[in-house]
Amino acid sequence: MSEHPGVGAVDGELVWHTSVWPFLASVGLLLVLPLPFMLHFVYGKSVLAAVVLAAGVVLIILTAAGWVADGLEDVHGYGAGHSVWAMPLFIMAEALIFVGFLAGYWMLRFSASSWPPAGTPAKEYAVPVFMTILLVSSSVTTHLAERELEPERESRPGFIFWLCVTMILGTVFMGLTVYEWSTLFHEGFNLGTNVYSTVFYSITGLHASHVFAGLGIFVCLLIPALRGKVNIPFVKAASMYWHFVDIVWLFVVTQVYFW
Amino acid sequence: MSTRAKRGFRLKEWIFTTDHKRVAVLYLAGSFTAFFLAGVMAMLMRTELSSIGPTITDNPATYNTWLYFHGAAMILGYLIPALTGFFANYYVPLMIGAKDVAFPRVNALSFWLYFAGIVLALLTFVVPDPPDIMWTGYPPYSIFSPGNTALYSFTVLLMGFSSIAGGINLLTTVIRMRAPGMTWNKLNIFVWCTMGAFVLQLLFVPFIGVAVIMLLLDKYLGMNFFNAAAGGSAVIYENIFWFYSHPAVYVILLPAIGLIYEITATFARNRVFNYKGTVYGGIWGVVALSGVVWGHHLYVSAMPAWLTPIITFTTLLISVPVGLLVIGLLGTLYRGSIEFKTPMLYASGFFFLFLIGGLTGIPNALSAIYSHIHGTYWIPGHFHYVMAISATTAVIGGVYYVFPKLTGKQYNETLGKLGFVLFFIGANITFGLTMYMGAAYGMPRRYYDYAQFPEVERLQYITTLGSYIILLAAIVIAVSWLHALIAGKKSEENPWGSRSLEWTHSVSPPPPGNFPEEVRLADDWDPYDYTK
Amino acid sequence: MANGLNRPVLWTTAIVLSAASRAEARSPDITAGWHELWREVIWDISIIGALFAAITLYLLVRYRRSRAQKNGTGNPLTPLAAIGWVLIPVFVFLADDIFLAAKNYDLWNQYRAVPENAYVVDVEAGMWSWDFRHPDGFIETNELRVAVGRPVHIRLTSRDVVHSFFIPDYKVKWDAVPGKTNYLWFNPVEPGEHVVTCTEFCGTLHSSMFGKVIVMPQAEFDTWLEAKRREKI
Ligand code: HEA
Ligand code: HEA
Ligand code: CUA
Ligand SMILES: [Cu+2]
Repeated sequence: MSEHPGVGAVDGELVWHTSVWPFLASVGLLLVLPLPFMLHFVYGKSVLAAVVLAAGVVLIILTAAGWVADGLEDVHGYGAGHSVWAMPLFIMAEALIFVGFLAGYWMLRFSASSWPPAGTPAKEYAVPVFMTILLVSSSVTTHLAERELEPERESRPGFIFWLCVTMILGTVFMGLTVYEWSTLFHEGFNLGTNVYSTVFYSITGLHASHVFAGLGIFVCLLIPALRGKVNIPFVKAASMYWHFVDIVWLFVVTQVYFW
Repeated sequence: MSTRAKRGFRLKEWIFTTDHKRVAVLYLAGSFTAFFLAGVMAMLMRTELSSIGPTITDNPATYNTWLYFHGAAMILGYLIPALTGFFANYYVPLMIGAKDVAFPRVNALSFWLYFAGIVLALLTFVVPDPPDIMWTGYPPYSIFSPGNTALYSFTVLLMGFSSIAGGINLLTTVIRMRAPGMTWNKLNIFVWCTMGAFVLQLLFVPFIGVAVIMLLLDKYLGMNFFNAAAGGSAVIYENIFWFYSHPAVYVILLPAIGLIYEITATFARNRVFNYKGTVYGGIWGVVALSGVVWGHHLYVSAMPAWLTPIITFTTLLISVPVGLLVIGLLGTLYRGSIEFKTPMLYASGFFFLFLIGGLTGIPNALSAIYSHIHGTYWIPGHFHYVMAISATTAVIGGVYYVFPKLTGKQYNETLGKLGFVLFFIGANITFGLTMYMGAAYGMPRRYYDYAQFPEVERLQYITTLGSYIILLAAIVIAVSWLHALIAGKKSEENPWGSRSLEWTHSVSPPPPGNFPEEVRLADDWDPYDYTK
Repeated sequence: MANGLNRPVLWTTAIVLSAASRAEARSPDITAGWHELWREVIWDISIIGALFAAITLYLLVRYRRSRAQKNGTGNPLTPLAAIGWVLIPVFVFLADDIFLAAKNYDLWNQYRAVPENAYVVDVEAGMWSWDFRHPDGFIETNELRVAVGRPVHIRLTSRDVVHSFFIPDYKVKWDAVPGKTNYLWFNPVEPGEHVVTCTEFCGTLHSSMFGKVIVMPQAEFDTWLEAKRREKI
């Protein structure tokens, strides 16, 4: 296909935009997920899997950094402000993933002869309640962070402060998930114990992965902010995502823990 | 991160491109690769089926892997990416007067995720334990299978993620980046169709993601979603899988019929008949109904008794909005001035072939009739008519239609028409007989061999001959494109005399940024206005 | 077995029951019902298809490009015409859909209502064969012998993966799913042999998972059954 210079365009002004990051991101994704998974679980080559995984993680971090840096400079000149429109669409798709898992859960539960199935340890309520408090307050602090950027304040340090608070709350939440899982494992309640363990670990795991992704996005906000660059639509989109992760938790906690 | 345009071919400007037209071309290349490979598998399958007993392989597992690859690659690798990757990416910004999509880099990412999916799919031929679980991947077989089910799951996940990213991107583009004056009721039908398709992708792809993640969890992490011994149930998978995979057929149908609308309006030089009825009744009617009919794949497996009559009815109801789409097409011919260039020939083929494909969906929907035809060759007959013939007709016709825009060159009409005639004959023989074998003899699908049905051997043989005619057609079509690319005459800017934005306001092929000048549309502008 | 929620089922069941109470019960023949509905739906879609195809052909020929007229002359519809061109087809198509759905509903309920006097066979599917357990407890593999004239009630399950039990000649099919017991029934009206084969992909030898249904005259069947019983003891 030949290039057409275009009619009436000043020579040299027309450029074919390029970016290496999409390509690298996809390679990174291959290295992080499918390949190590298959190497480890299907072919039993765990060392190789770990090496591939490590390479993938490095690549993904580099890509994310490069992508964000480019985005802040807006080298393409478009994309301004669209993310607040796109994020709700993305959230809808994400929410439906949870709906899918919950639907599987309901089908299992309604066809079960008794619930909870044999092998389930007695329920423990303190941890999930505490986790809920953490996540709900982190939603508030994200909102506070976002508010620091409003035109009448425009306080970058304030933004950074609340962002850090949010990230700490999120990290503690993740830590509690790890704590809870390992306690349960010690009690002999593991992935394959019964259908409840299947539901429990898959849904809480799915949610935890979203918290993790949210924290990753926050890092992508924090580092540029520390260097004085803030992209407000990006901040808004990230905060929408975090609110979503929070709201989904309410479904997870009521359905999986308290019902 | 940018380079100047004028310097001829640069590989870097293709691989790392973020321009929607080039991303589209990458999609086209990827999807035709998948079509080619899956087509080769089809030829191997057909050859094996031409006689009872081993014909070219004596290992049923080999056949099963061919069939697995054929189904998965044709749907996920070829048809959906050709329509929602190539055509949607190429046309939507051009048709709405935008410089590019809302997120060019995400667009490139969508392509590369899809490409990663293809790479995984190709591993099928490399790994010692290729997947053999069919494109539907039903457990518990997919859990027990000695094949590499993870390969299937990850292929689906990557392609699904790519679809979601692409869908968000193009929907945002249409919502936010229409040129001044491009009001909703002036959008091309194709743009509406892709919007419908992308809404479906966003709503339903998450579910197939869930289904294949559950497979991974069960098979490799020992979870129990589908393990009956531990209280799980295979039926969960079947429901979630079809909750996506039925709407997926409209992800195919909508853009395909959208292309046929564009071709028809251009070559009949006519307005689209009942634009609003087509858009709001036809397209959005299909979208609205597509989520409530998944159970028609499960009448004899997983439907509760009370649901079956409801699903039968909702499935039949789909004929209503699809019927409106057909009426809109035929009405566009009415009082037109039809010129039978190659794209229009494909469109004309579509009118008839889609009737066969769509109407043979009606008996499928009837649960009692289904008791016989489900799982037989009637079903591949039905869906090859809609996908391998109708939608593929739209894709091939659509490529001929966009060819001058895409390349600035013109193809050879005689070769183009020859390809169509061969395709039409071969496809009808192949899939007409396929359908007949299913209904008349109950010949089951996914059979490596059919010793218990000796009476169909002759028909199988003729079907295989028919498929060789399709192969011949495919070669003629490929040759006509290659010939045009290499030795084609330079095309006029708007060889079809279309009134649609991509032809009138841009050049062929369009430069970066698409439009030499900012697009502004007059109040009385309309993409199908041939009266002036 | 009947689903007590819907009236036609009750109605069908009532007929079946009252028929069954008489000696030499006559059960509905779902296979014949299938053929009838099939004929109707094929006529239905053929007529619709022929109609649309004829219109298409007419339009394609009538409005092909002529030298005199280069542009199409179709006018935009008036709002009333536009609504009419939606509503009228909608109602016509809807009428056909309702007609077909109702026809199917009747036949489907017959499919799902097993006659009382049926001969019950428990079928266990497994990779890659069928085990038929007769009421007397003996098991036969890949061969189902039944007596002519008495409906056969198949209770289906699977010991490994999903299979599907299909007798093309009787137009019946249902999935055998591990952990579940599904059912279907058929009416062997004449002596003869029929293929029973698997129609859900179940692995390498899916296409070899087939057997026979052998429909025997009553007397012959009784002798065979007697022999089997003695064998068991
Ligand atoms: C592009 C793809 C595509 C499209 C558009 C369709 C369209 C339809 N399909 Fe099909 N279908 C598939 C692809 C598609 N299908 C695939 C891939 C499978 C098998 C998957 C697998 O198992 O591997 C399948 C399987 C399948 C089944 C399951 C069969 C089985 O597994 O045993 C059923 C059952 O109801 C069905 C029904 C329908 C119906 C009712 C429509 C309707 O949308 C058709 C509507 C169109 C018309 C009716 C014609 C035009 C309308 C008029 C002229 C108006 C007047 C008409 C009337 C009033 C009737 N399809
Ligand atoms: C888009 C979808 C699509 C398309 C286009 C096709 C195309 C074809 N299909 Fe397929 N098919 C499916 C989707 C499709 N199929 C699906 C979903 C299934 C079910 C799978 C399952 O059961 O799980 C199926 C199953 C299926 C079966 C059933 C097998 C069985 O149940 O045992 C058969 C058998 O005849 C078949 C045949 C064919 C043939 C002959 C073609 C032909 O039309 C193919 C023709 C194409 C070529 C021959 C390509 C060659 C190209 C060239 C030569 C060009 C040259 C290129 C260059 C020079 C660059 N297909
Ligand atoms: Cu058993 Cu197929
Ligand atoms: Cu469907």
